[in-house]
Amino acid sequence: MKWLIVLVALVSVSLAEDCDILARLKVKAQWSRAYGAVSGHDRKDFAQALWRAIFSQAPEARSLFKRVGGDNTMSPDFRAHAERVLAGLDIVINLLDQPEALKAELDHLAKQHDARLIPDTYFDVFRTALGHVLPAQLGRCYSRTAWKACYDVIAKGIRG
Amino acid sequence: MLRVAVLVMLGAAMAYGAATSCCSAGDSAIVQKQWKELWQDTESSKYKIGVGRLMLLKLVELNADAKATFSNVDIDHPKGGAFSAHAMRVMNGLDMVINLLSNPKALDSALNHLAEQHRVRDGVTKAHFKSMGTILDGGLSKLVDNYNSMAWKACFRGILTKMASKLSA
Repeated sequence: MKWLIVLVALVSVSLAEDCDILARLKVKAQWSRAYGAVSGHDRKDFAQALWRAIFSQAPEARSLFKRVGGDNTMSPDFRAHAERVLAGLDIVINLLDQPEALKAELDHLAKQHDARLIPDTYFDVFRTALGHVLPAQLGRCYSRTAWKACYDVIAKGIRG
Repeated sequence: MLRVAVLVMLGAAMAYGAATSCCSAGDSAIVQKQWKELWQDTESSKYKIGVGRLMLLKLVELNADAKATFSNVDIDHPKGGAFSAHAMRVMNGLDMVINLLSNPKALDSALNHLAEQHRVRDGVTKAHFKSMGTILDGGLSKLVDNYNSMAWKACFRGILTKMASKLSA
């Protein structure tokens, strides 16, 4: 009986990954394949898939994006907005292994999000959407636990 | 004689092309391809930050009045976190704009947003953007294999003009 408890404990330890330096490098490399290596139309498709996944989970979140054409994810204004968000995400993911610059960028993003009164649940919605779109984009080798741990570092930094 | 005439005509045609400054679909494709070739590596972020840092420092070197506009991102410590993150933001702004070249309406929306973000910064002038155009052209010509100056200039003249369009000076 005791060995079973030890086994369960061991398994749960190995499942709960920290956003340590290895996880950070893994996330960086996978992001680079999913987003950094694609351009033009592929990026547009990636952004479309991500935001559709977000709004299908939280349709009422569209109201936060009225100013940038959130009613229609295909509109030029929303397209530009989606590119800005992904560009910001690209910065923080790329800086995951450069703590000082990462802190500066997260502070910058926190300031930009402060006044918008975003419920915490929307950060979970974003993570879930990313968790669906990324493996679809990568096809294979998607490290769910590393992404979860490092996404939480990013979301925490933006929420302030 | 004929050869001279042809050369003169060619020269005139090229000058005309530059003067109208159209970023054609062909130019966009060249710019996108040459830009993408720069960032193949996973560690592109460090390279990107390095290039961005050099560009911004050059801008300040050539335009002493621009320095104050970067004081809140700690330009006095260019290798520090704040300025590194800023250099990365500038480079990703460029990256975004270049990737949107094939979608003029979304590009316009993105440039409008960038113009607004620069309008509210005291001390930023149109001359700074003009200077940045020269710095970009000079820097890229060193970094990119077979750099196509004509295509880049044609596209970036419009981009930088729009980014500076809301500035009063």
